[in-house]
Amino acid sequence: MIGLISYLVFFTTVATILSIAVLGLNLQWGNTGLFNGGVAAFFGAGAYGTLILGGTPQEGHIGGFALPYPVALAGGMAAAGLLAWLVGRLTLKLRHDYLAIATFGVAVTFENVMRNAEWLSGGARGLRGFDRPLQELFASPLAYNAVFLGFVVVLLVATYAFLQRLVASPFGRLLRAIREDEEAAQSLGKSPARVRLISFVTGSVIMGLAGGLYGTFYAFVSPQDVLPILTFQIWAMLIVGGAGNNRGAILGAFLIWGAWTASGWALSRYAPVEAQIYAGSIQYVLIGSVIVGMLLWRPQGLFPERLVVSQRGRHPVPAAAE
Amino acid sequence: MTNNRTRRRAGAALALALGAAGIATGAAAQDCTTKVGAVLPTSVDWGRPIAETAQWVVDQVNEAGGVNDCQVEMILRDTQVDPKVGVDAAKALVDLDGVQLLIGAVSSGVSLPILTSVTVPAGVMQMSCCTSSTALTELAKEGKTNGLWFRTFATSGVQAAVGAKVAQDQGWKKVAVFYKNDDWGQDIGKLVAQNLESMGIEVTAQVAINDGQPSYRAEAASALSGQPDAVYMALYPNEGTATAREWLALGGTQNMILANSLKSEEFRENVGMQYLENAWGTDTASPRADSATAFVDAYEARFDSPPNGPGLANSYDATMIALMAMEAAGEDATGAEIAAAVPRVTDPEGTPVTADAEGFAKAAEIFAEGGNVMYQGATGNVRFDEYGDVSAPAVIWKFTEDGIEEVEYLSLEEVNDFMASLQD
Repeated sequence: MIGLISYLVFFTTVATILSIAVLGLNLQWGNTGLFNGGVAAFFGAGAYGTLILGGTPQEGHIGGFALPYPVALAGGMAAAGLLAWLVGRLTLKLRHDYLAIATFGVAVTFENVMRNAEWLSGGARGLRGFDRPLQELFASPLAYNAVFLGFVVVLLVATYAFLQRLVASPFGRLLRAIREDEEAAQSLGKSPARVRLISFVTGSVIMGLAGGLYGTFYAFVSPQDVLPILTFQIWAMLIVGGAGNNRGAILGAFLIWGAWTASGWALSRYAPVEAQIYAGSIQYVLIGSVIVGMLLWRPQGLFPERLVVSQRGRHPVPAAAE
Repeated sequence: MTNNRTRRRAGAALALALGAAGIATGAAAQDCTTKVGAVLPTSVDWGRPIAETAQWVVDQVNEAGGVNDCQVEMILRDTQVDPKVGVDAAKALVDLDGVQLLIGAVSSGVSLPILTSVTVPAGVMQMSCCTSSTALTELAKEGKTNGLWFRTFATSGVQAAVGAKVAQDQGWKKVAVFYKNDDWGQDIGKLVAQNLESMGIEVTAQVAINDGQPSYRAEAASALSGQPDAVYMALYPNEGTATAREWLALGGTQNMILANSLKSEEFRENVGMQYLENAWGTDTASPRADSATAFVDAYEARFDSPPNGPGLANSYDATMIALMAMEAAGEDATGAEIAAAVPRVTDPEGTPVTADAEGFAKAAEIFAEGGNVMYQGATGNVRFDEYGDVSAPAVIWKFTEDGIEEVEYLSLEEVNDFMASLQD
């Protein structure tokens, strides 16, 4: 029983962290229509930034500034934001698939820099030497994990509340206006380039927060953590949950991550011994099928975006009018 | 006559039934299972044989009666070479299945977070076949593994030292280094460069080789610019072949030092024997021990092919040593108790046991009497140091027209002495 609780705490922590990243992507894609194909880079910038700033000194590379944890985490978010600002200035003039290709390239570049710049990131061996904050106060690892879960849930709720308010605000309307028709928005005197950049950076800072929490939880990050598969996973979560709906983004993260891990668990338990060795491959097929099925039968996601009229004109037209 | 025959038949049937019942009760007495976890990249082509080898060991141990008279069930989970997935799988095995022993993982990017966030907090022993990164040694030195971490893959230090020895023996003065751009390659490339320099041999270039490039001409050219009189290659066969071809085409020297990853027929055939006359290889994984040849024979009998993939002998030893330690630690042992029993399996003063079902049965008897054994495994007589690392005897080998030939054998003591001399 205690084992089940311990596992559920662990699972929920990872799913919560991932859902924060999905919320960041939802701001970019769901609300602003920015096709960010480089989620892994911004997630990674947060993780590396946090661990470099908050870790203990290690031989062979910079870092180990051992800053207080909140400062390190904020620094990780700032690193992600800075990277997003640079990338955004360069690429946000691109539309749709071109932006996707450019940002995908950024993510691959990021991974390669982290793999090779040993003085910065420890290279392929990864970055370690980070002491989880306040861990020494807890005798049992489970108690610590439970408290850490509480911490990430609070941050998830805060992020959710912030995004809900943002989306409901006039600025949120502006984001959707730009998503639907940029020229129309421009004709009303808005500056799409600026707004797109703000949305891109904000979303990336949120991904950086998720990355920082991820690095904190494992006390380790390596280039293997920022492979393109991560971008794919985050996208799959958003598409299944429902782009444009924050609740959908969170649900999607839990569902996809749950399916991802539960399918492996179920196969290891119920598949015949001869098939065990192929369980990994079967799992890939299953996950792929779920996503394809979702796209075919419910492309809007489980929780589709709810379009509301946020401000009625002076002579409201009744909704039921024909 | 007929009557007699019927009676005899009935008797036979009765005996059979009794025998069957006997077997059934025997099985009932053994009607317990011990779970062990394995977290390996089974969805990757080279990862699958590693997992199959581990499962094979479990089958042999079960054949010998299981661990502490319980059948062993190995629950195998795929890592997808994704740290998140691997750590989650490990956590599920530890928490939901209650395993006290975890085999895995392969890449250090997966093994390390499993160690820090799953096995060490839960006090579970972790034994890896194939993780090579020195980052884990440093973690152990900091005392953060609690003695729960072991690996049967000799750290890159042994090969790097022997590679430098080749250069010294051959009297080469300037060496360029090519290394595969991953954790293993970066480690070994850096170590070999350090060793060469400490011997007074100049390292003219250290060039990273990324996987899957169409051409390595630029890399070869940049290594050539320092005019080295020898080249060191820590590469895998595909990229190694491409790099060697470009290197030779540009007029690079045929004096080569090759890491064990290039010990493959494929590399010799694709580069061409005429260019490999002066290529010297190093290896740790084939000690001059009967047990190693016995492993190759047994593997061929089981899988109909020689154990040519990376890490197979290491996977065998990792699983076997771990299960023997479980046997030695007794029933319901915790991970820490199993880890503490590992020296009883690899005791150089102990009774030698072979790496098969009989060896396991023999070891079990000796443990029951309170004795220790010296496990003679597929990678030789394995011994762990205080950080869970394994040192190994080394060989220097060369390609020949019809295969691979050992030139020099360095015993464990010679390797250790040589490595100690480099430290000074």
